[in-house]
Amino acid sequence: MARMVWYELRSNLKSLLIWTAILILLVVIALAKYEGYRNNPEMIQILESMPKGFLDAFGVRALNLTTLEGFFGVMAMYYYLMGAMAAAIWGANAIAKEEYNRTADFTLVLPLPRTRILTAKALAALLTSAAFVLLTWAISLIGAQRYDPGPDFYAFLRLEMAGMAFIALLSWALGVALACLGKRPRRAASAAVIVVLVAYVLSTVQALDERLDFLKWFTPFKYFDAGDLYRNGALDGGYVAITLAATLALVAASYAAYARRDIAL
Amino acid sequence: MFRANIFRFELRRHLRSALWWSLGVVAIHLVYLPFFKTFAENAAVLEESLKRFPKAFLEAFGMGRISMATVLGFCTLIFLLVQIVLAIQAARYGVALVSREESERTADFLMTKPVSRRAIINSKLAAALVALLATQAVLWVSTFAGWAAFSAGYEYDKGRLALLLSSALPFQLFFLAVGLAVSQAVRLVRNATPYALGLGLGAYALGAFSDIGGEVKLEWLTPFKYFDAASLVLNGYEMRYLVLDLVIVAVALVFGYWRYLRRDIPTVT
Repeated sequence: MARMVWYELRSNLKSLLIWTAILILLVVIALAKYEGYRNNPEMIQILESMPKGFLDAFGVRALNLTTLEGFFGVMAMYYYLMGAMAAAIWGANAIAKEEYNRTADFTLVLPLPRTRILTAKALAALLTSAAFVLLTWAISLIGAQRYDPGPDFYAFLRLEMAGMAFIALLSWALGVALACLGKRPRRAASAAVIVVLVAYVLSTVQALDERLDFLKWFTPFKYFDAGDLYRNGALDGGYVAITLAATLALVAASYAAYARRDIAL
Repeated sequence: MFRANIFRFELRRHLRSALWWSLGVVAIHLVYLPFFKTFAENAAVLEESLKRFPKAFLEAFGMGRISMATVLGFCTLIFLLVQIVLAIQAARYGVALVSREESERTADFLMTKPVSRRAIINSKLAAALVALLATQAVLWVSTFAGWAAFSAGYEYDKGRLALLLSSALPFQLFFLAVGLAVSQAVRLVRNATPYALGLGLGAYALGAFSDIGGEVKLEWLTPFKYFDAASLVLNGYEMRYLVLDLVIVAVALVFGYWRYLRRDIPTVT
């Protein structure tokens, strides 16, 4: 089983590198923009002259682009989106690719129970997703070094990365579940990505109108909203619990379904 | 150099998928449009109180370039999401265009037919183009019909809206052509989805910060920058970007054709 995990990790490596490359480009562009706003005296003066309540109402203080925290707060949504997509694809393809590459018959006749095979593959996808979150963290830290970040920044970035990790965890479980439960293996990754994109659209729609406040329960992107993280200085325990419960439910459903799955050949 | 039977076969396959992508485009409109009225009212109040701040300050927060209390301003919000969908669709069609035969093990069957590779790729490209145009037609209809129903009495410039929608064509051509080039640059595409997502979302990520001030050279790589909704609405097409887009399309197509006409078709193991 350990050998299977290694094999899967190696085959994920190329895709991990591509995602990381896109992420590096994003951070490079963002920091180049940040350069123009950092400690811009005119803007700081304006910010200080405005009433605090006004700023909070529009989330401006949380995402104040003149500070490093603010800038990385703006990037949170892109981090979350990329983490969610990547984890969903890795989760789904770990299970589905044996079927569309027509190697499932080879793998499944190995002297290993199906649950062990599922464990090995899902674990490899999870480790790849975790590596992506850690790489994001490392890249952000390296990018921020030039600007002399204080302890506040490190604390905030840690929260943001925890949020990204939870979102990636849930998306990974979603991808695995869709691959185990779905009939068409080639579609599994697309389906998982569509769910992620719908959640993203919901999170943007939610901001349009107060009556849509209830939508925040349906989109994990809101559970770990960067503005909230900055204001509260902590993750919301309730949302973390929902995320973990949903992950567990999806994983349980995956094991139940994969054990009796009719493998497409 | 063109086979009507291949074209018809491909078109039938593509139209079914184009239907789903079109539904996605319509769904985005249906989700957003009903909230235009309240959003515009809130935005008007907010913008009134923001008026006394300098432009640079507002731009720092991605505000102020275009008023969100207008139909066209709200359109730019919707259009960005539509662009993500259109990008992934076109990239998928491009990547899968000819590589699909290889990953589905039908390439040997097709290659033994008395048709040249040039005829194959011409016919397939034409079918993919028609499917993309069909999706864009749905975009036009759903945008104009949606605004007719939900504009809540707000005036808007239909010509500007049409100009914005017309950008979907060069935008999708970029992803179709680059997707084809990518599929021919690698040895074997097993599944087109990750490639299409990488292209579409990578381009989106690169353009993500283009609406806040300052220009970064890397943004010259992404059509999300060439066809940024707010600048299209405010200033129309920017010639250097449009030309750059078309040049990239041409280069990618030439490369894709050149490789496909010569390449050793791999067998899937």
